[in-house]
Amino acid sequence: MKGNGDIRIGFYICHCGTNIAGLIDVARIAEYAGTLPGVVVARDYKYMCSDPGQDLLREDIAAYHLMRIVVASCSPLLHEQTFRRAAEKGGINPYFVQMVNIREHGTWVHDDAEYMTGKAMDMVRAAVLRVYAHQPLERKQVPITPDVLIVGGGIAGIHAALTMADAGKHVYLVEREPTIGGHMAQFDKTFPTLDCAACILTPKMTAVKAHPNITLWTWSEVEKVDGFIGNFTVTVKRKARYVDEDLCVGCMECIEACIYKQGKFPDEFNMGLSKRKPIFIPFPQAVPPVPVIDPGQCLHLKKGTCKDTCVEICADRKAINFEQEPEYKEIEVGAIILATGFTPFDATRIPYYGYGKYPNVYTALELERLVNASGPTGGEVRLPDGRTPERVAIVHCVGSRDEHYNRWCSRVCCMYSMKLAHLVKEKTHAEIFNFYIDMRAPGKSMEEFYNRISSEGIHLVRGRVADVYPETLEKKTNGQIGRVIVQAEDTLIGRIRKIPVDMLILSTGLQPRIDAEEIRRMFNISCSAGGFFLERHPKLAPVNTFTDGIFLAGTCQGPKDIPDTVAQAGAAASEALALIDRGVFELEPNTAYIMEDDCSGCKSCIPLCPYTAIAFKEEKQKAEINEALCKGCGTCVASCPSGSIRQHLFEDEEIYREIRGLLAYA
Amino acid sequence: MLAGEEVIEQMWGVSLDRLYDSDEGQRILSCIQCGTCAGACPYGEHMLYPPRRIITMLKAGLIEDVFDSDSLFKCVNCYTCMTKCPRNIRLTEILLPLVKEQSAVRLEEMPAELQKAIENTYRYGNTYGESARKRAAWIETIEVPIRILAKDPAPVDILWFVECDLSYHPRGQAAARATALLFHLLGLDFAILGPEERCAGDCGRLSWEPGLAETLVDYNLSIFDKYTFNRIVTNDPHALDAFKFRYPMFAFKHKTTATVPELYAHLDRLKPMLTKKLDYLVTYHDSCCLGRHNGFYDEPRALLEAIPGVRLVEMDHNRENSICCGGGGGGMWLDTWYKQQGIERLSDRRLREVIATRANVLAVACPYEVSRFEDAVKLAGYEDRIIVRDITELLVEAIGGH
Repeated sequence: MKGNGDIRIGFYICHCGTNIAGLIDVARIAEYAGTLPGVVVARDYKYMCSDPGQDLLREDIAAYHLMRIVVASCSPLLHEQTFRRAAEKGGINPYFVQMVNIREHGTWVHDDAEYMTGKAMDMVRAAVLRVYAHQPLERKQVPITPDVLIVGGGIAGIHAALTMADAGKHVYLVEREPTIGGHMAQFDKTFPTLDCAACILTPKMTAVKAHPNITLWTWSEVEKVDGFIGNFTVTVKRKARYVDEDLCVGCMECIEACIYKQGKFPDEFNMGLSKRKPIFIPFPQAVPPVPVIDPGQCLHLKKGTCKDTCVEICADRKAINFEQEPEYKEIEVGAIILATGFTPFDATRIPYYGYGKYPNVYTALELERLVNASGPTGGEVRLPDGRTPERVAIVHCVGSRDEHYNRWCSRVCCMYSMKLAHLVKEKTHAEIFNFYIDMRAPGKSMEEFYNRISSEGIHLVRGRVADVYPETLEKKTNGQIGRVIVQAEDTLIGRIRKIPVDMLILSTGLQPRIDAEEIRRMFNISCSAGGFFLERHPKLAPVNTFTDGIFLAGTCQGPKDIPDTVAQAGAAASEALALIDRGVFELEPNTAYIMEDDCSGCKSCIPLCPYTAIAFKEEKQKAEINEALCKGCGTCVASCPSGSIRQHLFEDEEIYREIRGLLAYA
Repeated sequence: MLAGEEVIEQMWGVSLDRLYDSDEGQRILSCIQCGTCAGACPYGEHMLYPPRRIITMLKAGLIEDVFDSDSLFKCVNCYTCMTKCPRNIRLTEILLPLVKEQSAVRLEEMPAELQKAIENTYRYGNTYGESARKRAAWIETIEVPIRILAKDPAPVDILWFVECDLSYHPRGQAAARATALLFHLLGLDFAILGPEERCAGDCGRLSWEPGLAETLVDYNLSIFDKYTFNRIVTNDPHALDAFKFRYPMFAFKHKTTATVPELYAHLDRLKPMLTKKLDYLVTYHDSCCLGRHNGFYDEPRALLEAIPGVRLVEMDHNRENSICCGGGGGGMWLDTWYKQQGIERLSDRRLREVIATRANVLAVACPYEVSRFEDAVKLAGYEDRIIVRDITELLVEAIGGH
């Protein structure tokens, strides 16, 4: 075996309690390592990652004039940084450290001690040979733009924006709809406290509008994202609103004056339960309080023939502008928080629940509008024929926990179903039946809430609804809407129950937004199996993504209730703050680099890069790698036909020596 | 999700005590006891042990109690529980056959009608107990030339598997004649097995004695081997099920489809022939095997809508939420048994939905359904108001001149 010349290497094997030492003979490995070329000191130690363990490293560097370090312990994901820092403190380049993963790749997956001891020796030998060839590397620093983009103006985006703005950062809050507020603005009361959603939300909405550090762009969408952590360039499309936000004073006279005397088009905010005009604001407390004109409905914009009564009444304010074009804004931000929210499950997808077929079958969100005092019925729960329902069924888990639709539990439906049971009972004195599979009430005060509502005398039927059909087959002719029968097995009494009800409420689950995949691609992040955005680590990095500088808040990451959404929004804001306040970002040096003399400019590496880190420099006719974007995956290195891409820490010599060491059966 | 064929193939040879050895069998461990299967089952309320309880009993080691009850004997093999199960447990395909066989074995007395049908099939190869030689007698009643492979074994495109009901039952024969005429007018190259054909075995192992089903499979396969053809077309969705999901376990590899999707494939050419206006308000009853198990919902409706004058109305339960006519899973021969137990026939229940639509024609696509629903219509006293027709019969009626 080729020697390591005058390079002096220190070798350390960690017991990791019994995790490693329980299976393999660590002393024997240390002894063996001591015989390898260049190794001047070889030790085993109980916990290398502990302070005394790190001290040992530092002291040895000084005492033995060590130039390279090999640590055989756990996965580098856990402690590579620890040992690199220790080496740096000891006075050598941190990249002179090589780890050998004998825990995750060793003792945790093997049970044969003799075999594993042999395998560990092979791995140690490879690392010792490799580390010889390590080059000193330097971490580069990139300055960070202090501004932040937050996408989505629901409660998550609002809370994150206010937190960051209060910390003195400039925030761009981009919202697709004409107003911020999101789904929470549509809710009536919120569980478990039953406080009014609008009462707690609207003050935060107005605070956003009034905050000097927040640039609020509603009716706007992110079109393009370029750049990297600390230095994103984002293009935002501000859709034509046809009402000038700067000139409008929010008097709403234009809506009153519209040529349509009555609402004619389904009101999206009220889930289509009422009608609105072509010029409208979603709800009275909308922020900004500026109307928007639907170009597909407005007579002027659609046909060019209208008396323009809105323009007339707006008079000197001149806020109505039919000539308005979409505007594109380019901004520079250092961090991005995605708070794009969820879409409720489309209940028509389950044909046997009768949504869209029977007029008295509602979704939970429709009910939120019906029980809301500012909703289409002024808060009265009435059937389409005007009657007050006497019996109401609420079906839990619609579209959730179902292999045919969405596999996940939507987390909020049990509690919002109990809330709706309470609200509907309070308003109508109807007999309420909640059909559930399992009642899920985790979280602070939730079980108490469940206890409270179930004590109010609603019927809790444990069974998933299997069929919904009309009570009488004869079609009613007097305009009265007939009852539907809700059929389910009451699994606790073991009988099939067929309960006729006047109103059926489907507690639809939460699912990713329809265009989540496009957003994912635009921001270059990942999605989990169900399509929600993927966090970097489910427990330890819940608001980070795999793309540095992009954070997640709220239901775009997975179903959650308002308290959790707000908590996560705060966490995302503080992560973003921690990044921005550092002012600079350190880059890992294990990046690929181009040997410009050899690059033929064939461009074959460019589409292969999963991080879009490679660009083609026209003036040089060569490829160029952006170190800030490169993650060191090595795809380009392996694919370059002329071998002109190399990678720090994965130089050919390092890899060949490692392979040679691994295959040299001693 | 695995396709049904793969699932059943995977379950081949698996017995109840080794159920968890297979991936699909293991799936029942994921049951959340939501009761959807029991609530969706058309006879769920009459079962002491509906599917949900069977799963718990199985897990608890109490399955013997289930065998001793007649709960699963009432299963009509309609695939509703399986279609709606949120855990996608393929109850009808994997669990129920195993349990049902055991229940059948332990019945004190096999219901007479079913016993007779099984005996007939064993002896004569058809449920009616008719002579096998008369199986093709119906072709004498039609002028369309129909080739019988035994007489003319030249290769053919379509082997038309006529099945028992279309061969022997008078109402079935009407559909047979209509189908023959449609195939002829469309210029399809088809032939039948005639006296050589024997019952395909209903949905195979699901409702019959497995031994008898296998004998039938063996026999029919030996006949198929004699001739050269490209594919099999059958009017009976139960036979389609058998060919698609059961026969492949016995090395059967032929492409199989049902008459309805076959005709739908020729709709462009068929449509110009449909010249006679039929002023009918039609409602279509989805066959379980054709619909829920094979996904043919649009094809039958498209054929009906191609008929001039026909207006299609839907019953409250339709497509994947349709209600079984009660004939599947051996139910065809259990009407008396159900009656003795005071259980309403599903065809009678279904007819009430037909009546509510005010349709004057009930269109069907499964040979069991014509006789079942005609009985139900008579019983309800609606003979003057509702006629039951196979889709092929309606198409022929619209062709006019025939």
